Amino acid sequence: MLATENMLQEQEHDATETGTAVRVRDLIKRFTDGTVANDRISFDVERGEVVSILGPNGAGKTTLLRQLSTELRPTSGTVQILGRDAFAAPREVKRLMGIVPQEAGLFDSLRVGEHLALFARLKGADARQARRAACAIAAALDLEKRADKRIGTLSGGERRRVLVGLALIGAPPLLLLDEPTTGLDPESRRIVWQTIERERARGATIILSTHYMEEAERLSDRIAIICDGRLVAFGALDELNAHAVRRAAQSAPQGAPAPFLSLSAQKARDHALQRQWNRHARPSLEEIYFQLTGKPLEVDFD
Amino acid sequence: MVELSRRLNEIDCIFRLHWGRVRAEAGPFVLAAVIFPTATYIFARAVADQTTAVRAGRFLVGSVVLSLSLTSISWLGYLLLENRFTGRTKLLATSPLAPSSYLFGIVAFAAVQTALGISALLLFAGLSGVQVHLAPVPFIITVLLAMLCLCGLSVVVATRARSFSEGSLLTDTLGAGLVFFAPVYYSADILPPIVRPLAEWLPTACTARALFCAFDGRAAPLPELLALAAMAGTALALGARSLRWTED
Repeated sequence: MLATENMLQEQEHDATETGTAVRVRDLIKRFTDGTVANDRISFDVERGEVVSILGPNGAGKTTLLRQLSTELRPTSGTVQILGRDAFAAPREVKRLMGIVPQEAGLFDSLRVGEHLALFARLKGADARQARRAACAIAAALDLEKRADKRIGTLSGGERRRVLVGLALIGAPPLLLLDEPTTGLDPESRRIVWQTIERERARGATIILSTHYMEEAERLSDRIAIICDGRLVAFGALDELNAHAVRRAAQSAPQGAPAPFLSLSAQKARDHALQRQWNRHARPSLEEIYFQLTGKPLEVDFD
Repeated sequence: MVELSRRLNEIDCIFRLHWGRVRAEAGPFVLAAVIFPTATYIFARAVADQTTAVRAGRFLVGSVVLSLSLTSISWLGYLLLENRFTGRTKLLATSPLAPSSYLFGIVAFAAVQTALGISALLLFAGLSGVQVHLAPVPFIITVLLAMLCLCGLSVVVATRARSFSEGSLLTDTLGAGLVFFAPVYYSADILPPIVRPLAEWLPTACTARALFCAFDGRAAPLPELLALAAMAGTALALGARSLRWTED
C-alpha cells in the first residue's frame, strides 16, 4: 500500500530478494572523549527480517543505528547495506533506506501533506507521484484528516507518525527505526506497530531500537541485546532463552539446585524471574535480558 | 543530465522547505529585511549636519547593505542554526540529498529573500524622493556577489557553532558588525588609520563602494567586484566543506 507506483524506478527495490540485508563486522565506535559506545559488534540481518535492538539508555543502540544509517563514521569495522559498503557510497545506500532518527525535527511551518510530498520529491518522485505518495502515507498512518494542518499544530504522537511516514516514502527495502514509539500514546503506538507489521508483510527488512520488551517480543524475528556497547546476545526469543539458561548454568556455583541462583545479589533473589524460571515457565524477554546482562532494563520513559 | 536534473530538484525542494517559513512568518521577515534598514536610513539622514544628494545616496547604499547583511547573515544564520539544533538537518540527512544541494537551496532561498527586501527598500527610497540612477547590471552583479559571500559566512558560522546561542550571537554580531565597522554609512577617512585597510576591504565595504557607483548609473569598480567574487568563492567553499552528513 505504501509503495507508490514505480516511484523510484531507477532503484527498483525488490524487498523480497533473499540474502543478507545488513552485514556488520567488528564495529567499534570510540568518541573523542574516549567513550567506547560500540565495542566489536558483528552481526548479519537477513532480508525480510525484523530485528529489534534492545538495551537501556546509553547502551549504544542509537550509536549503532547512526552508523548503519551512515550518519556516524565508525572508528573501525565495516557496514554493508544490501551488498554495498555504506561509507563508500552513502547517498546510494540512503536511497535503499528509510530512516527514523531518534531526535529529528520537522519543518513546522509546512502542512503535513506538503512535508511528505517534498520528501518524496527528495527521494526522486516527480510532483504528481509525490502527491500520491503523501496521500497514501498519510492514510496508512491515520493522518489523513491532518494532511492540511501545519506540522507545528500536531501533537507529539502525530509528529512522530509523520517522521515514520517520511521513512516509508518510496517503499525502501530497509527501514532503520530508532525508538519509533518512545513517548507515544497507546493509539499512536498501535498505528506505528501496524505500519511496521505491514512493512514486514511487504518484505522490508526492519531494524528498530526499543526500550519496550513488549514491542521487541511482538514485532521481531530476532532480538539483539546490547549492554555497555557490547552485543551480548542475538537471536530469536527461544534462542535467547536457551542462551540465558546455558549462561546461567555455566556461572552457577557447584551444588546449587538451579542455575538461576547464580543471579548475583539479593535483588536477584527477590526478582520475579527467579520464581517464574523455577516453575519452569518460559521466561519473559525482560527476565532473559536480566539473566544475560545481570542488569534490569531500567528505562526513564519520557 | 540525470544527475543535474536530480540536483535541481533537490535545490528546489530545499528552497520550498524554507520558503514555507517566510510564508508563515511574513511579519518578522518584513521587520528584519525592510523596516530596520529603513529606520537606519531615516536616522542617518536625521543626524547628518546637512543632507546633500551624495550623503542621501550613501545612506541609501548603507541601508541596502544592512538589509543584505541582515537577511543573508543574521536571519539566514538563525534559520540554519535552528535547522541544525532542532534536528531538521539530521532529518534532511536521512534522505539521499547531497550536502551541496542543501547549500545551493539555502542560497536560492537567501537570493529571493534579498531580492524582496531590497526591492521594498528601493521602492521606499523612490517614494521618499531619493534620486537614484540605477545601473541594473552592475547593481545585480554586486548584490549577487555580496549575497553569496555573506551566505557563505552564515553557513560557516551555523555549521561550526558549538551551540545555538553561540551561533546566534555570532551571526547577529557579524550581521550588524560587518555593516557598522566598515565604511558603509560613513567615509573611510573617519576611521583610525590602523583599522582602515582592513575595514575598507570588508565585503560590506566593497559592496557599498560598488553599489554607490551602480546607484549613480556607473559600472561597479573592477577591484571591488573581483574582491567580492574571491571572498564569495572562499566563503562558499568553506561553507560547503563544513556541511557534512556524516560525522566522525
